[in-house]
Amino acid sequence: MIRMKPYFILLLLLCTTLSGYPVSQRDYIFKGNKAYSAGSYSTAVEMYKKVTDAGFESPELFYNIGNAYFKMNDFASAILWYERAKRIDPANEDIDFNLNVANTKISDKIEPLPELFYKRWFNALIQFFSVDVWASICVVLFIAGLLCGILYLSSRVLVLRKIGFWLGFGLLAMAGLSFVFSWSSYSFTKATTEAIVFAPTITVKSSPDDKSTDLFVVHEGTKVRLLDNISGWYEIRIANGSVGWLPATSLEKI
Amino acid sequence: MLKSILLSFVTLLTVIANLQAQDVQFTAQSKPVAAVGETFTLIYTLNAQGSNFRGPNIQGLDMLSGPNTSTSSSIRMVNGSTSMSITYTFTYLLQATREGTFPIPAATVTVNGRQFSSNALSIKVIKNSNVSGAQNQSNAGQSKGTGSPSGGVSGTSNDVYVKAFASNAAPLQGEGIVITYKIFTKVPIAQINISKLSSFSGFWSQNLMKENDKLQQTTQVIDGEQYVVADIRKIALFPLKSGRLVIDPLELACVAQVRRQGKTRTGDPFFDDFFNDSFFNSGVANVEKTLKSNPVIITVRPLPEEGKPVDFSGAVGTFTLHSEVDKTRLKTNEAVTLKCTISGKGNIQLIDKLNLTFPPDFETYDPKVTSDIQTTAAGISGNQIFEYLMIPRKPGKFTIKPLVFSYFDLDKKRYVTLTSPEFSLDVEKGTGEAGAVISYSGANKEEIKYIGSDIRHIKDNEIILAPVGYRFFGSVGFWLLLAIPLLLFLLFLFLWRKLAARRSDTVLMKNIRATKIARKRLQKADEFLKLKKQDDFYIAISQALWGYLSDKFSIPMSELSIDSVHEALVQKNVNEMIITQFIGTLNNTDFARFAPGEKSVNMERIYNEALEIISKIERELR
Repeated sequence: MIRMKPYFILLLLLCTTLSGYPVSQRDYIFKGNKAYSAGSYSTAVEMYKKVTDAGFESPELFYNIGNAYFKMNDFASAILWYERAKRIDPANEDIDFNLNVANTKISDKIEPLPELFYKRWFNALIQFFSVDVWASICVVLFIAGLLCGILYLSSRVLVLRKIGFWLGFGLLAMAGLSFVFSWSSYSFTKATTEAIVFAPTITVKSSPDDKSTDLFVVHEGTKVRLLDNISGWYEIRIANGSVGWLPATSLEKI
Repeated sequence: MLKSILLSFVTLLTVIANLQAQDVQFTAQSKPVAAVGETFTLIYTLNAQGSNFRGPNIQGLDMLSGPNTSTSSSIRMVNGSTSMSITYTFTYLLQATREGTFPIPAATVTVNGRQFSSNALSIKVIKNSNVSGAQNQSNAGQSKGTGSPSGGVSGTSNDVYVKAFASNAAPLQGEGIVITYKIFTKVPIAQINISKLSSFSGFWSQNLMKENDKLQQTTQVIDGEQYVVADIRKIALFPLKSGRLVIDPLELACVAQVRRQGKTRTGDPFFDDFFNDSFFNSGVANVEKTLKSNPVIITVRPLPEEGKPVDFSGAVGTFTLHSEVDKTRLKTNEAVTLKCTISGKGNIQLIDKLNLTFPPDFETYDPKVTSDIQTTAAGISGNQIFEYLMIPRKPGKFTIKPLVFSYFDLDKKRYVTLTSPEFSLDVEKGTGEAGAVISYSGANKEEIKYIGSDIRHIKDNEIILAPVGYRFFGSVGFWLLLAIPLLLFLLFLFLWRKLAARRSDTVLMKNIRATKIARKRLQKADEFLKLKKQDDFYIAISQALWGYLSDKFSIPMSELSIDSVHEALVQKNVNEMIITQFIGTLNNTDFARFAPGEKSVNMERIYNEALEIISKIERELR
C-alpha cells in the first residue's frame, strides 16, 4: 500500500497531464474492456473511471461502466451509469435493455404515472434520436434546403425550379422540426436533475427534517427526480408521483 | 350401696317435689322486627312439665312449621343439694310475608291442672333491605335441633351457611379485587361440592385456590356462637367494564353431620324423617344440604379520563418494563429476537399485545408470549414475556422505535407511561444470493421472465469521447454549421440578384435596339435588292428576322429554332395569326432563296413581308 501510493499519485498526475489527449484515454478504455472480458470487473471500473475523471464522457463508456457494476451485483451503481448513458443517448437499445434488466434486480417497483398520449408521442419522437443526432440532422437538412433554394433561384427549367422550391421548403421545415426536437431534448436534460437512491433502505420524510413524518420507504437503485434542495436535503419525486424529502447523502445525481 | 341408692331416690323425689313448688314460667320469645320474606322462630319456653299446649292464633304471618316440642332436663347437685330443672320448648317457624305490625296473642298450657298463659308479642315486619345477607338463602339448612334461641341477629341462627365477601365493593375498572366464599358451620361437614359458580360476566377471573387445596379452618365467634369458618373459593376478579356488576350466588352441596340429642324428636319435619329412621339412631346423622351464597354487587368506577395516554390499553396495577435484543449487528436473513418483559402486580395477564412498530423491511412474526404468573391470596403478580422474532430482508441501519407501555398506577392514582430504550440494528448484506432476497418481495411476471437473463455485452468498438457535458447541439460548431451555409446562401442570393439585374439590363437594351438593328439589316437588304445581289439579300433578311427574335426574347442564337420561337411568342401572348404569319415569313425567306421564277419579284415580296411582320409584332408586343 505504501509502495502503491507514489505510483498512484504518479498515475494520477499522468492522467491529468494527458487528459487533453484522447489517445491515452483510448488506452484506458482498451484496458478496461480487457479487464471486463477477463472478469475482473473492479479493475474495469477503475480503468473506465480514469477516463471519466479526466473529463470525458461517452454513452458507450458509461454503458460499459454500468455493465461492470452490474457484474459486481452493485445494481444501484449500474443503474446510475446506465441512466447517465441514456441521458446522452436515449435511443440506444442496448442501454435500454440493460437498464431494464438492472431495474428488475432492485427492490422498488414503482408504477409510473400515465402520461397524456400526445406528451408520450412527443417524447417518443424526441427520444428517437439523441440530442446530437437531431442537431446533425438539423444541420444536414438545413444545408440541403438551402441548396434547393439555390436550385430554385438559378434554374431556368420550370420543373427544376418547382422541385427546388417545394423540396427546399420541405427540407427547411424538417430542419426546423429537428432543431425543435434537439432543443427540447437538450433543455429537458438540462432542466431536470435526476438521482439514484444509494442508501440500502431509506424512509422518505415529509419535510427536510429527521423528526418529520415517515412517508414511504425507498430502496437502493430507485430513480428519483430532484425538485428542490434545502440544506443537505433534496425534495424528490418518484415515478408514481409521490413527493418527499431525502438527505442528500443518500442520493447520487445522474 | 343399697343405702345410697335409696338415698338418691329419696333425693330425686324431694327435688321433684321442690320443682313442683317452683313458680311456673311460660314465656314467648321472638324477634321484634323482621324483614319481608325472612323466616324466624317463635319460641315458647315452659320450665315445668306441661300439657295441653294451645298455640296462638297467628294472623298475617305464614306458619311454616310448629309447634315443635322439645324437652331438656338437667339435674344439678351442688354441695349435696340436688336441683333438677326441666324445660319444654314449643317452637314455631314463621315467615313474614308482608309489611306491617302483627300481634301474636298469648298461648296457654296446663301445668298440674292449672292453666298458664304466656305473654303476647307484637312483630313488626319491615321492607327487606338486606340483600347481601345470607340468612334467606340458607333456610334449607336451618335446624332447631339444639333448641338454642335465636340471638335476634339475622343469619347467625343457621348451623351452616355460605357467604361471599368482596375485598372491595367499589374498585376501579381493571383494579383487582378478591371475592372469597366462606362456609360457616357449627356442625361437621364433608363432601363440599360446588354445583354452581358464577360466570363472573364483566370480569376477568383467576382462581386463587387450587382445586385440591385442603380447606384452612379457623374458628370464629359470631354473636356468641362459635363457628368453624373455611374459605372454599377465592377468586381474583378484574372488572372489564365500569358500572354495576352483579356476581351470581354460589351454590354448593355438602353433607352435614348432625348430632342427635337423645331420642327426642326435634319437631323439624326435615330432620325427623332421618331421625326416625332406625339407621340413624346412633347419635350422628348425615344430612345432605344445598347451600347458596348471597349475590354480590360490585360497583366499578371508571378510570379517570384525565391524562389518559393514547396507547392505554387497560393495564392497571404496578408494572415495570424491560426490553432487549439478542444482537445488534447481523446479516440479512438472520433472525433477531426482541424480548419485552412486563412484570409487576395487577391485571398482567390481560396485557396480550404490545404497541410495537418494526422497520418496514423486517419480516416479523406474532410474538411468543410466556406468562409467569403467581396467584396468591394477595392477588396476581408475575411476568408477561413477549418475544418477537424479526428477520431483516434488506441491509441497512434500522432503528426499532421504543416500546411505549402505559398503565394506571393504583398507588399513585394516575397514569404512568413506561418507555423502553431504542435499539439500532446494523444489518449487513448477507452471503445469501440476491435472488433469494428478491423472491421475498413478491415474484411477479417480469422477474420470472428475467431470471437467468443477462445484460448485453460491453461496447468493444472504438468509442468517441467527448468532454463532459459537451453536446453538439448548442456548440459553436453547430451554430457555425447552420450559419455558414445560411451566409453562403445569402451571398449567393445577393450575387445572383446583381447578375440578374445586369443581364436584364442587356436584355432591355437588346430589346430596345432589336427593332433598330432589324431595320438596319432590312435597309442593307434593300440595298442588296437594288444591286440585285440575291445571296447577300437573303442573308440580311434572315439575320434581320432571327436577330430580332433573339434580341427581343433573350433567346441565344444557338437555341433558335422554329419551335423555340413559337414557344417564346406564345409566352408573350402574341396573336396566333401573327405567329403563323411570322413563321410563314421565316419559312418563305428560306424557300424563296431556292425557289424558281423571277428572283427580283420574290425578293421584293419577301422584303415587304419581313417589314410588315416586324412592325406587326412590334405593335403586338407593345
